[in-house]
Amino acid sequence: MNQAYRADVRPMVRVRGLSKIYERGGEQLKVLSGLDLDLAEGTFEALMGPSGSGKSTLLNIIAGLDRPSAGSVEVKGEDISHLSEGALAAWRSRTLGFIFQSYNLMPVLTALENVELPLLLTSLGGAERRKRAETALRIVGLEQRMGHYPRQLSGGQEQRVAIARAIVNDPAIIVADEPTGDLDRQSADDILTLLEKLASEMNKTILMVTHDPVAAERAKVRHRLDKGALIT
Amino acid sequence: MTFLGLSARNAMRNRFRTTLTVFGVAIAVLAFIMLRTVVWAYNIGVESAAPDRIVTRHKVTFVMWLPKRYIDTVRQEPGVKMATWASWFGGKDPKHEQEFFSTLAVDAETYFDVYNDCAVKPAELAAFKENRRGAIVGDAIAKKMNWKVGDRIALKSQIFPGDWEFAISGIYTATRKSVDRSTFLFHWNYLNEGMPSSTKDKIGWIVTKVSDPARTADMSLAIDRKFDDRDTQTLSQSEGAFNAGFLGMFTAVLKAIDIVSIIIMLIMMLILGNTIAMGARERTQEYGALRAIGFLPRHLAVFVLGESFTIGVLGGIVGLALSYPIVQLGMGRFLEENMGSFFPYFRISGGNALLAVALAVGMSLVAAGIPAWSVTRLRVVDALRRVA
Repeated sequence: MNQAYRADVRPMVRVRGLSKIYERGGEQLKVLSGLDLDLAEGTFEALMGPSGSGKSTLLNIIAGLDRPSAGSVEVKGEDISHLSEGALAAWRSRTLGFIFQSYNLMPVLTALENVELPLLLTSLGGAERRKRAETALRIVGLEQRMGHYPRQLSGGQEQRVAIARAIVNDPAIIVADEPTGDLDRQSADDILTLLEKLASEMNKTILMVTHDPVAAERAKVRHRLDKGALIT
Repeated sequence: MTFLGLSARNAMRNRFRTTLTVFGVAIAVLAFIMLRTVVWAYNIGVESAAPDRIVTRHKVTFVMWLPKRYIDTVRQEPGVKMATWASWFGGKDPKHEQEFFSTLAVDAETYFDVYNDCAVKPAELAAFKENRRGAIVGDAIAKKMNWKVGDRIALKSQIFPGDWEFAISGIYTATRKSVDRSTFLFHWNYLNEGMPSSTKDKIGWIVTKVSDPARTADMSLAIDRKFDDRDTQTLSQSEGAFNAGFLGMFTAVLKAIDIVSIIIMLIMMLILGNTIAMGARERTQEYGALRAIGFLPRHLAVFVLGESFTIGVLGGIVGLALSYPIVQLGMGRFLEENMGSFFPYFRISGGNALLAVALAVGMSLVAAGIPAWSVTRLRVVDALRRVA
């Protein structure tokens, strides 16, 4: 399956007529133009394209980090384009999990504490937070490294901690921006296997931005962006 | 894990930089306490003066003499409980020319009744009264000069020529903060006997203890009125006002010290602000990640303020811990022993200690204000892109 959207199934993410224009020094720079895209529930999808094609901008808008100039983004039937900053932050904390290229773990926290971090925003008590963080670390296979600090982990392990952090609040969608960009082939392979597993076994919708065709091959659906438009 | 706990751990991320900053704050707190203690200790003579004592001196200046017979007139004034007198001797130990201490010729019979905040053992006081060459010295100067009861001391005076020999009869301790513990007290009669006829029966000032401390102002006027039509007029003041007049010549210096103490804290605030701003800038991408996973701008502000708060508290505590041995035990002891007239009680007051820590903590929060505000203004996508 390699198409932009399907009319018959209600998708997890539904993007319609999405445009993004930046103003730089009085000039208008069109990054995305009238883009339509659906992401189905429980699929692992990849977004590819050359630098400057708009893939990170699209990812940021779907993740509620940036706002579109025109068009709409619906996630689980909710239009997020008009939510306030505060409402968007709350929405992100309960709906979305993030995986970054450079992991962005806090060096002063152990693996367990890093995973527990998003749960600080919930009303859960300390013991429950810890239990959930332990479960997330078990899912990514790091139950033996819970007390380790990021500096004591390999790059692949750090990214697995970041994945555990992304799933700890049981989000519907996981967005990953070049999650294997800083990893060697073997570690990248392990991470991609984990992402596949999260989609197939835990029904997570995963959107991964990548430059790496090998990584993209592992996704169930691949989208290609060029000059702000989806070409496949 | 809590927000504040996380802030505290963030503060320890760059241990070297944090340690230097904590010590910077601590040194500022130490300097602040030191300077404020100088001002406080200087003013203690005024603040802790006995409320029921009046000092009467020559109207022109306290270095000019009063006739000794004035004491009888003062004692007759209604409301006067008792009165004594003293004269400045200006003595020095020829073996220790550099050491300064007050030397006063006093009325042995009445001085310690009026100055009942100088505590002397009854036996030592009795021995002092019996011995015309007896002397009673403060415990601070006794310790410093290694004087003991029974020691024979020879002093020279810049005012009264000759060799003056004394025997230490006793040592007094202070029960009031304003009492100089470095004074050398001896019999005025011994001094008077050696005076030429022109300066015989002259005294430096009269100290009166009144029955009603609330009436010291009225009593001062009443005493002065008694001598209005005499050749030598007087100026009577409460002990606090007298001490203030004596110390008043240094008011401008004290004001300057006060201002410098605040400037030091402001400099500390700028240094701390710079450290916090550097830390916040280095963590821009991390703040972007936190925002992405749902943290709000105010959460980031709490992290930044909490980090600065941690450094401020640590700096305040370390500064306070350093202040006691350095200011109180080191500098304080030295000043009480060597400059007891100006600093009879050089200790860190609870108010100054509290103010120093409160300023360190308060200013640390102010210092983090701009960095905290800046992180709340970050756009998440820009923050995630930025590499410090």
